[in-house]
Amino acid sequence: MSRAKPLLPRIPAAVQRYGLAVLSVTAALGTALLLQLFSFRGVEFPLFLFAIALTVWYAGIRPGVLAVILSCLAFDYFFTEPRYSLYVRTSEFPYYILFILFAILLAWFSAVRRRVERDLLESRDELEKEVAVRAQQASLLNLTHDTIFVRDMSDVITYWNRGAQELYGWTAEEAVGKHAHQLLRTVFPVPIDEVHAELLRTGRWEGELEKTKADGTRVVVASRWSLRRNEQAAPIAILETENDITQHKRGEEEVRKLNRELGKRTTDLEAINKELEAFAYSISHDLRAPIRHIIGFTELLQKNASPTLDEKGRRYMMTILESAKRMGTLIDDLLAFSRLGRIETRETMVSLDQLVSEVQSEGGQETNGRNITWKIGPLPELYGDRAMLKLVLVNLISNAIKFTRPNPQPEIEIGCSEKRNDGAVVFVRDNGVGFDMKYVNKLFGVFQRLHGPAEFEGTGIGLATVQRIIHRHGGQVWAESLVGRGTTFFLSLPKP
Amino acid sequence: MPDIGRILLVEDDPRDTELTMTALEEYHLSNEVVVATDGAEALDYLFGRGKFQGRNSENPAVLLLDLKLPKVDGLEVLQQIRSDEKLKMIPVVVLTSSREERDKLASYQLGVNAYVVKPVDFHEFVNAIKELGVFWAIINEPPPGSVGKK
Repeated sequence: MSRAKPLLPRIPAAVQRYGLAVLSVTAALGTALLLQLFSFRGVEFPLFLFAIALTVWYAGIRPGVLAVILSCLAFDYFFTEPRYSLYVRTSEFPYYILFILFAILLAWFSAVRRRVERDLLESRDELEKEVAVRAQQASLLNLTHDTIFVRDMSDVITYWNRGAQELYGWTAEEAVGKHAHQLLRTVFPVPIDEVHAELLRTGRWEGELEKTKADGTRVVVASRWSLRRNEQAAPIAILETENDITQHKRGEEEVRKLNRELGKRTTDLEAINKELEAFAYSISHDLRAPIRHIIGFTELLQKNASPTLDEKGRRYMMTILESAKRMGTLIDDLLAFSRLGRIETRETMVSLDQLVSEVQSEGGQETNGRNITWKIGPLPELYGDRAMLKLVLVNLISNAIKFTRPNPQPEIEIGCSEKRNDGAVVFVRDNGVGFDMKYVNKLFGVFQRLHGPAEFEGTGIGLATVQRIIHRHGGQVWAESLVGRGTTFFLSLPKP
Repeated sequence: MPDIGRILLVEDDPRDTELTMTALEEYHLSNEVVVATDGAEALDYLFGRGKFQGRNSENPAVLLLDLKLPKVDGLEVLQQIRSDEKLKMIPVVVLTSSREERDKLASYQLGVNAYVVKPVDFHEFVNAIKELGVFWAIINEPPPGSVGKK
């Protein structure tokens, strides 16, 4: 307590208190003797009483007793006959007793007064502290962004924080004293009896509630209730904390909507895919038969009627046969290509080195004895469908062989240009005829050709196949070319 | 001339039948060929019912079966043959235009003996038919109870 601080901090408190008794009595004695010199008589009695009162007031009962004893001695010694002796005449006893009684009464009054004052000050300090703590708590509750309010057991609001005001638009003055569910038009997801039952059983309840703001807009809140009980364990109030989750709910609804749309789109795509599959299936069955018939019967015709036909007739027949065969090849290519998109990939670790040498040895006859210089760099291992990746290499390598045909010193280089953390970039480079980069966007189209059939054979399905396979592996394929200088194809294949 | 087994050709397209017969004739294998133009007729023949009532109950040495057929399709014919005690041993060769994975899978699951995709090229076609005919009607020993080969 601040008032308990000793006046002179280095001197012990007991010495100070008893010292005060000695000092005050000495001062009273000095004053009385001084006044006596100026012929003032009889002032010593009240002066000693004053010294005793002062001592009791500031130093307590025991120093007070010392002051009474000292006062009696001083009075006896200096002011009663015979002077300057401690002899006490019997006739003076009542005088002394009266003095002591008076001093005791004064001391008692002073002590009581003193205690009352101390108690009062103590309770004032406690109250101040309590008020400070409460005020801090209240301002903390007010500071939080969360909506917090308290209502009693008949749902009348008794506390309403700033967060509640911000969310619902009602000020504390407007809200306190109102019925909470009527003010906020609360909509419960479950019967309110169930909510109350749970609250009384567990002391808590959590759920999503729909409420209405002062301006009439609806909000969805995540609400948490805690039950407060008094000392007799009877429920007295409910603390409700809330967060506005309207946006969140709207987001959820949005996601659900998008998911529904996605689901529908997936179903649509599946249907389209099924249709395409049926289409490919019927091509496979029905379109090949007439071609087989054209070829078959033209062959038979050729065999039976050839002698009677002239040169022109035989040439027509040859053209029919070649066209029909070409049609057959195109259909087969198209079916193989469409199958690529439909069949499941079976992914394993594939060594590109091994794959390249396989393709080279199998494609031997294509090179037709030409003296091709091969430069095969170290190639990475990749994760992918072995058969499909082989088809990619077959297409790219046979293209390189095909398009270097006019070059007397053909050179084909296969290597790995970049080995990144997320995958690898592999290239196949030739010094063949090349193509004009302005047609590069046609390069990977189905049945798109950048060279005439008289120059280079082919249906134009190879690079489309390459692209489809690489895309199915999550990679990219692109090309760089210079007419007359050669072409480089790049494949980027991601790591699994 | 060697003794040849009976071939049951199930084919709805007369042009394909003609081409097949031409190929078989070329190798003198056409004498013992019976043609059914749809699955129902093939089953009637095999079970000796309908217009084949009272037919000699022996089985053909081989069945050349198209898959896409009117009324009862090839896979169903195959399934009925395989689930019949008396017919299930007949060698069946699927002869089709389809190279589709699921057709192959379904055929083999039903226990087909061979699956041949009709080649578009006529010479290859003739060659394939000839080899099929020679193998199944001459070289192969059919199960007991088949027509032709004794």
